Amino acid sequence: MSASLARHIATRLGTAIGVLFAAATLAFLLVRLSGDPVKQLLPPDATAAQEATLRHQLGLDQSTLAQYGDYLWGLLRLDLGDSLVYNEPVSQVIADRIPATLELAAGALVLSLLIAIPAGIYAAMRRGRAGDTGVMTAVLLGQSTPPFWIGILLILLFSVQLKALPASGYGTFAHLVLPAVTLSVYSIAVIARLLRSSLIDVLGSDHIRTAKAKGLGPAKVVLAHGLRNASLPTVTVIGLEFGGLLGGAILTEQVFSWPGIGRLTVEAISHRDFPLVQAAVLFFAAAFVIVNLLVDLSYSLLDPRVRDRA
Amino acid sequence: MSRRNALRLAGVAGSAIAAPAALAGCGTAAGAAGDGTLRVAQTADPTTLDPHKQGDMVSMNVLINIFDTLTTRDVRGRLAARLATSWEARSRTVWRFRLRKGVHFHNGERFDAEAVKFSIERVLDPKTRSPIVELRYVTSVSVVDRYTVDVHTKLHDPILPAKLSLFGGVVVPPKYIAEAGDAAFARRPVGTGPYRFESFRRDRQLELSANRRHFHGRPGADRLVFRPLPNPASALAALQSDEVDLVTGLTPDAARQLSGYAGVELENHPGIRTAYLNIDTSAGPLRDRRVRQALNHAVDVPLLIKAVLDGKAREVPAMIPHGSVGFDESVEPFRRSVRTAKQLLADAGHPDGISTTLAASNTDGQVAEAIAGLLDRAGIRARVDLLDPGTFSARLTSDNRQALGPLYLAASTVWTLDGSSMLQSNVRSDRRQSRWRSKEADRLVDAEELSMDPDDRQRAFTALQRLMKTEAPFVPLYQQDNILARTTRVRWTPIINGSLAMEGAEVKPR
Repeated sequence: MSASLARHIATRLGTAIGVLFAAATLAFLLVRLSGDPVKQLLPPDATAAQEATLRHQLGLDQSTLAQYGDYLWGLLRLDLGDSLVYNEPVSQVIADRIPATLELAAGALVLSLLIAIPAGIYAAMRRGRAGDTGVMTAVLLGQSTPPFWIGILLILLFSVQLKALPASGYGTFAHLVLPAVTLSVYSIAVIARLLRSSLIDVLGSDHIRTAKAKGLGPAKVVLAHGLRNASLPTVTVIGLEFGGLLGGAILTEQVFSWPGIGRLTVEAISHRDFPLVQAAVLFFAAAFVIVNLLVDLSYSLLDPRVRDRA
Repeated sequence: MSRRNALRLAGVAGSAIAAPAALAGCGTAAGAAGDGTLRVAQTADPTTLDPHKQGDMVSMNVLINIFDTLTTRDVRGRLAARLATSWEARSRTVWRFRLRKGVHFHNGERFDAEAVKFSIERVLDPKTRSPIVELRYVTSVSVVDRYTVDVHTKLHDPILPAKLSLFGGVVVPPKYIAEAGDAAFARRPVGTGPYRFESFRRDRQLELSANRRHFHGRPGADRLVFRPLPNPASALAALQSDEVDLVTGLTPDAARQLSGYAGVELENHPGIRTAYLNIDTSAGPLRDRRVRQALNHAVDVPLLIKAVLDGKAREVPAMIPHGSVGFDESVEPFRRSVRTAKQLLADAGHPDGISTTLAASNTDGQVAEAIAGLLDRAGIRARVDLLDPGTFSARLTSDNRQALGPLYLAASTVWTLDGSSMLQSNVRSDRRQSRWRSKEADRLVDAEELSMDPDDRQRAFTALQRLMKTEAPFVPLYQQDNILARTTRVRWTPIINGSLAMEGAEVKPR
């Protein structure tokens, strides 16, 4: 690895840490604007004295600045605190959700790529013809259909009618199928559309004309010369999609009772579970930062110009 | 699958998703249930398995099967013996409980007066950080003999035995907790209840097995499994694809959309969750009693129940629900009449009606919109302000009593089955959610809260309900039924407090 590449990576890592710190601070401040956890934990008929006692026990009677100091000091020691609702360390609560979250996101992403890449290439090669229109109409339909609706229809067909796949739950490959299909529909649309348009752009450029002039077949032209150039924006979007899949599967998780981190976060927000919300936001920020870092690094593999600049 | 069914089910999904309160971390593992296994779906997992560190019904529903309480409710809603066999008020500030003999915790530890003392004092100990607030008047517990305890209170607490029928009444094993510690106890809870704890995988399932040595004999199912399914449509699909046997906590709206599915039976049983409109009597036209009475005449509660709740609720005449201590049949609901409402508004100087705002949680959106429609017929133009449940409850419990505006729709679950719980925070002028200043009401609240004589209490309750009809500081609405969907394998009658004590549930072998 050259010194310049190392410097490039070091800069990216420094930026990543800055982003995480900013996310941690924002999460700390925003969750405190959302309401009072003591009011959520106690029933409406709790007395003011009972509230004050609990507030003190949770350390929420300290000044915001003191709480922030405690929080940052905890972060440095990798101590995210205890969940106010679950009475367990937040790191444990989040860690329990990570396997299911990764499994669903990865399942949906693999499925998206398996369908979106051939669909995008096919549509680009058939530009303006019936095949293109057909594929693009199908993905547009997928993009504009809400995931809970698709999820419910899949459950009705495959679980209730055919009894082929479980309607909810987590643990086996069979449990993964319906949620992953549901979640992938949107990503398929995004990736296929972008790949198609990038590929169409590339296919009009000079080096493709040269490749065609050399007498290469259409498949070879597209796969060997077109796809690599069209892949840069697509890889960026795939990275963003994966980041989104890690945290944005709330509706799908809800419909399939999937034990993921998205719904945990929504629930934590509604409970005003400060430590859990803060940790979840950090997790999402970290997921995005890592995925983006990987995307950035993959550029230098895909595009020699990036490598040379670095 | 018919298109109609798909639309109906997807409609349920939509309404569930519009309700962030129902969101909860969940997931289950499928798996065939053997004979004698009862699989129950709830909207969420328990937050913790330490019964003294939770204050929500979802957690209590699981824990009531592992633990016993001092008192309980029978299927007809009457207060009944459980770990305590009898109780009496020895003086204004002492309740004596005689305890059941020969009861053991699941680990073999003996249940006795020391366990009761330990348990109640554990709830009260600030170190426990318990969200259970009902035992606010209890100061200490003294052991009289091995099977008798005295519970001492600051003030006379006439409904203490009822308060010990759920949350604060759970008895835990002192020796086990001392040896294992709080954290281990929450991981592997040990109680005296009809089911023993087996395993818990958060978001997947919680498994219990029958306690054959329980003092009521062996419970109806060999294994009891709770699964968290936050979405009613998915829960129903799980019921139809034989992944669960019983789905509870359905809204009338969801139930109506689900009725008619093959293999699923829908049942509704009387419930205690009581809905009402709270009126800010301190500002604007609503200061005038006649305007508040007009509101009561305008909101046609029977029509509301029929049209929006599919008949699965019962009209409540004056805040205290049927089946509760304090309810008085002689207090009748307002006569519903648009004409009377308009006349009262005109008398109060508003011949063209009034404009106001009705705040509600978005989970109650349909009811709120329907109420606004009913009010509109009488010339009361109420703009409906729907809030997410978190914001709604934050404003409800805010120190600012005007935080929800002039009019809001709320509901309370009166699980103690005593009117004082319903009126606790709403009526007496110094209480946090009260928006009504009436010396007479304050006096009557004191009388019902502090009196030792049940007849005196009932008299105070009756007078209070009559006063509420005259002064109209609320628009009492209805008490909602408990609605459940089940497969034909299961027979179970829930008790009125809505808890999922599954001891009496029967499961037919497949």
